[in-house]
Formats: sequence, structure tokens, C-alpha cells
Amino acid sequence: MKRFGLAAHVLIVALILLSACGPTQEPLVVEKQVTTIVRETVKETVVVQGTPEVVEEVITRIVEVEKVVTATPEPETPGEGAKIILRVGTGDSGEGLNPHQEIIARFEEENPDILVQLEAVAGRDYYTRLLTQIAAGDAPDIMQVGDDAVPMFVNKGSFLPLDGFLEGDYPLDPSIYLPGVLGPGQYDDQLWLLPKDFTPLGVYYNKAIFDEYGVPYPEDGWTWDEMLEKAQALTKDRDGDGRTDLWGIQLTANWTTGFEYWIYAAGGQLISEDGRQYVGYLDSEAAIEAVQFYADLYNVHKVAPPPADFALWAGGNVEFDNGQAAMRLFGRWPQAGYRDNPNVDLGVVGVPVGNARANILFWGGFGIFAGTEHPEAAWRFLRYYAGEQGSEVWADWAIPPVASVAEDAGLTEDPIEGVWIDELEALVPRAYVYTPYWGETADPALRRALETVLIEPEADVARVMQAAAEQAQTALDEELSP
Amino acid sequence: MRRGTVPRRPKRGLNLVRREALTFYILISPWLLGLLLFVLGPMIVSLIVSFSEWDLLSPAEFVGLQNYERMFTRDPLFWQSLKVTAVYTAVYVPLELAGGLVLALLMNQKLRFLGVFRTIYYLPSVLPGVAFVVLWMWILHPDVGLLNTLLGYAGIEGPRWLADPDWALPALLLMSTWGLGRTMVIYLASLQGIPQQLYEAAAIDGAGPWPAFWRITLPLLTPTIFFNLVLSIISTFQTFTSAFVATDGGPLDATLFYVLYLFRQAFQFFNMGYASAMAWILFLLILALTLVIVRSSGRWVYYEGERP
Repeated sequence: MKRFGLAAHVLIVALILLSACGPTQEPLVVEKQVTTIVRETVKETVVVQGTPEVVEEVITRIVEVEKVVTATPEPETPGEGAKIILRVGTGDSGEGLNPHQEIIARFEEENPDILVQLEAVAGRDYYTRLLTQIAAGDAPDIMQVGDDAVPMFVNKGSFLPLDGFLEGDYPLDPSIYLPGVLGPGQYDDQLWLLPKDFTPLGVYYNKAIFDEYGVPYPEDGWTWDEMLEKAQALTKDRDGDGRTDLWGIQLTANWTTGFEYWIYAAGGQLISEDGRQYVGYLDSEAAIEAVQFYADLYNVHKVAPPPADFALWAGGNVEFDNGQAAMRLFGRWPQAGYRDNPNVDLGVVGVPVGNARANILFWGGFGIFAGTEHPEAAWRFLRYYAGEQGSEVWADWAIPPVASVAEDAGLTEDPIEGVWIDELEALVPRAYVYTPYWGETADPALRRALETVLIEPEADVARVMQAAAEQAQTALDEELSP
Repeated sequence: MRRGTVPRRPKRGLNLVRREALTFYILISPWLLGLLLFVLGPMIVSLIVSFSEWDLLSPAEFVGLQNYERMFTRDPLFWQSLKVTAVYTAVYVPLELAGGLVLALLMNQKLRFLGVFRTIYYLPSVLPGVAFVVLWMWILHPDVGLLNTLLGYAGIEGPRWLADPDWALPALLLMSTWGLGRTMVIYLASLQGIPQQLYEAAAIDGAGPWPAFWRITLPLLTPTIFFNLVLSIISTFQTFTSAFVATDGGPLDATLFYVLYLFRQAFQFFNMGYASAMAWILFLLILALTLVIVRSSGRWVYYEGERP
């Protein structure tokens, strides 16, 4: 009995220990984050990282400071200690905070009457926190919001309209921007937010793999058929063990927003322009064609690596990073990593053309809190941030929104960055523009449909899309009913 | 105490019982205040919110029973989440009770390195939930994960675990068995409280280890089993972290746990009213289950203090 007991333990423990010596791989990218909250001021950098409770304390302290300041009347020319304090809320974290801090430091130098405090709340909690702060009238003066959340925040009256400022004492010319990058900040014929950063979709390709098999690089204006051809030519079983180990193109699994591109490129739409109908759109011929083509890349042609984990962003695949996929369709986010990745000899090309040329934009921007006590100061900062000065800083990190800055930095002519900028010409509005309920009505239905066709290759795409359209429609009708 | 002194009663007012009661309330007041402010208060508010439509920003709008009506009549995902949670609970709770007991029995032997083994088994229970789940996502990775690699050595092509709607829930179950250490420790404490004489007496009467287990160990463990059962049901019904981190409810809503769906309604769609209504239904469900178990406990739980 005792012997057996010991043997059982040894076995179980050995199994547990084995888990420490699995095969080494590129780290799996886990996009979900545990909330880490960081707050920094520029003059003396204080970083607080820890439990939400600790951070609450810090935030409260900031609030108290503000109260003291606004209680004293503002003099015409502010002396020492009478600075306006602006709070800037962002959902960025880690390295994403660097450009903010650099721009803030420059702005404060040029505007000695204003002190800017960055409040960073990373993770999925960011919007919840903003909403509670807005409800309490205590939100940051300037808030960052992502593309599809713009209608919700605007509808709830969280932002000041910016049109009045454009021609005021501190004017801003909206024509200085690259095409399409102001779009997501506009809603109901008003401008509410200015762009922070953005990316359309594109296709990365690994030149080394193309060279190895003598396949010509993809070129702008290429089509779905050409993409399939190249992908097929580059899907290989290199070690001959009967399993594919080189994939033609890494796709985005059940990532619904990314998938909108396919429907637009097939010549379809996701919702009626009045924002009330999914039936007739999600189940249109074009939408079905898009889903069929996409699913076939996985199931029939088998040129795309199967999703590793549907819960991870875009399927959690790592094949392109590991040099096991020749192409990858995605946004600009991992590009900096690819430039340094020894497995990847990077090239970028626009997304292929289907029945139509189309691309979609992913975007983050800043707006001014409707309840701010310093609208003018906030505008001065916003104008600086999203204007030429801020753009010059951004040019070191991403594509700056101001066209002349991008040009001066040589980005429009750059063989890689130029592609992203060219793709802005092909932008179409995303579905959320037509309904504030996209996220809770069609998004789950479309996600389910994509998962169904990827998991069950025998599923009838037309029927799956009809079911999705009906599910989305029922949910939408529920929201629209008085 | 000096001889001849008599404890003096306070001049007026409180007798001993009252004074004790007062001291009692003063001493537990921190907890009591916490309960009122941070549990009972929010509970009452959420009950009120559950009869309204509220998105945190616009003023709440009273809608009567509409949230509950929608839940029961027009929301397939509500039923799906209830089903997933019920299935998971029905499988996991017995597994945890039995598995924890087996581990505890093993840990109750006189073995070499016992302390080491106990630590190893209990260790996963003190790991932070998210780190724990991320680690398992690696183990379960369909192409490069440890589990499928091992299965591959054995000539078995492992399933795609978290990416397969049929295997995702079993994968989460597998993951949860790492938490058995918590139950084990409670069992272990109570195993060591069983008087050794009982076993000695049984041995003298010629009882082998098996009857001793059935006639002595198990009956004397019933209070602990009862405790673990209630605790396990409550916590399993509230499963959230593993699905939130590893599967986000998918694929095909196969791991859409009740609390995960509630969280979505509340913090992704900002339907605070609907989410509150869901929370109340969950509360009532758990309450009802717990009551049933407590009621039934008289029949199968044996307390030593009782008459035989």
C-alpha cells in the first residue's frame, strides 16, 4: 500500500514536472491583459503598478489636486502654481505610452501655463472606468476612444463637438490629414475626436520564402485568385512527414472586425445604411461568397494554418512569426517586431482585390470631455497632439496622421510604410458607423458563423449566414423596439 | 484573584448576557459594516437596477419585469450559458470531491518526502488564476502544446482542445483539476482529526483497510464532504477566469459560462439592468441548491457529537 502510494506520487509529480520542459517556441501572444494601471507625470516620473486598490488612491489624489487649483481664480497671465492641469486618459500601456509622454513633454515646454497628466488604464476595464468617471462628472479632460466606441460615447454626450474650435483662436485645418483618418472621429456630421494612431489591413509576406520557391512577390492591385495561387504554391510539407509545415497565408480566424474587409471586397455590406437591417446584407450573395472563399482557404485549399485558439486575437496563430507561413493578412501592429524578427524577411503589400477594392481602418483618437472645466486648454493640447507637432513625434513610432509630416519623414515613398498609406485610399466605413448596437447584435452572430464554417467544413455557408443574419436581426430588433 | 474579592457588577444597566452581546457586536462590527456597505448595499441596489434599463451614463429607466422576461423567453444565450454552467458543475463537483479525497488519503500515509508532495499538490491553488490559465493554454496548444506532443509520442493525434467546441469544456475541466489541492487540504485536516483508537479497535476486530475506510473514515468525513460540496457548488457556479482568459466563451459558445455572459452584458454591452437581473437569478439558483443540500444533510452527514 505504501509502496504503491509513493509510486503514484512519483508518477503524478513527474507528469507535472514534465510540463516545465515542453518544446520551446516563440512566446504565444496573449492579447488579453490583466489590468495593470500606470500613472506617470512628466516632471517627476512616478510609476505605480499594482492592484486596482492602490491605484484608486493615486487617482483620488489627482482629483483633489485639481479641486484646489480650480478654486483659485485664473489670472490672465498665469504665475507659478496657477497652472491649468489637464488630465489625459488613455487605454495604452507599456511602450505605447512613450509617444504620449514625448508629446506631452514638448507641449508643456511650449505652453508653460498648462500641466498635462497622463492617466493610463490598460485592458478591458478602460471603457468601464471611463463611463463611471463620466457619470460622476470626473472624467479626464481629454479621453482616448477606439473607432467602434465613438458612436456610443458621442451618443451618451461624453464629448464636446470640435467643429467650433477649428476656426477659433487656435485654428486647425482639417485638410492637412491623410485621407480617411479623420473619418472615425466624425459622427452625425460633426467632428468629435482627432486621430491618435491608425492602421488599415495589409498583407505581410516573407521574401525569403518567396525566393526559395521562386514565386514572384505579390504586387499592389493583386486579386483574390492571385492570392490563392501564391498561397497554394507556398503551402508545403517540407520534411515529408505528411503534415503541412509551410503555410501559404496566415488568416485571422474568427476575428469579426477584420473579416468586414472580405465582405466589402466581395462587393457586399454588413448592414443597411439606415442601420436597421442585417437580413439581406449579412446573408447577401456577396457576403456568402466572401465567407465561402475565406472558409475554402482553410478547409478546401488548406493554405491557411488552422486557428490555434479562437479566444486569442485573430486565432492566436504564430506561423508567420516562426517563418512557417509565407504571408499574413493583418494590421500594422506587429510590424516593428517583424522588422527585427530573424525568421522574417519582410515585405508588405495591400490587401488583394476581390470583386471590389476595399479596406477598413482601425483607429484610436482623442476627444474633449463634455464636462471639462478647461475646454480651451484641452483644445490647445489636442490640436498640438494631433497636429503637426505631435505628428512629428508620432512619425518615429507609427504613421503620423498629418500628410505633410508623413511625406517629410519619407514614409509615403517607403516601400513598406508607403503601402499602408496607399491603402487609406481604399477605405470603406465599417459596420459600427451605421448602428451603435453592432457589438452586441451582429458581432456575436458573425463570430459564431465564422467559427461554425471553420470548425465544421461540411457546413452549408449560405445556411450559416442566413442563421447569423436572423440571429443578429432578432437582437437588433430587440434593441430598436421602444 | 485575591481571596475574598467578588467580581463587582456594574452599578446599573447591563447584565452579563447583554454585555457579552454588546462586546460581540462591537468586535464583529468591522465585518458587519463591510457586509452592509459593500455586500448588502450593492445587492439591494442591483435588485433595483434589475428592474431597469441602465447603461451607467443615461439615467436608469424603470422597465418592470422586462429584463427577466427577455432572459427567460427571448435570449438563447442565457439558456446556453445556464446549460454550460450546469453541465460543468455536474461533472466538476463530484470530480473535485472524489479527487480531493483520493489525494488527501494518499497524503495521509506515512511516506517519505510527504511535506514535499503536499506542497506540490497544494501549490497550484495558490497560483494567481490568470497565470495558471495562461500556463494551461500553453499545455493545451493544439500544435506545440505539451499535452498533444506527449499524445503524439504515443501515436495519438490529440484534439484541438480549446479550439474545438466538443473538447473545450473538457479541456477546462482538466485545467480545473489542478485546483484539487484546496479541497485536499480541508479533507486532510479532518482526516487527521479522526481518532487513531477507532482504527486500532477495528484492526483488533479483524477489519481490513477497506472496511475501515467505509465504516470509519467515510462516515467521520461526512461533515467535511458536506462543507466541500456546498463550497464547491457555489464556486463552480461562478466559474469565470478560465473561460474569460482561455476561450472567451467560445468556440461556438461551448464555454459560455453564466458569469462570463453576465460580465459581457454588464461591461461590454453596458446593459447593467439585464446583468443585475442575471446576477439575481444566479443568486436564487445557488441559494436554492444550497438549501436543498442543507436540508438533505440530516440524512447523510454524521456529527460525532450526536447520538449514534
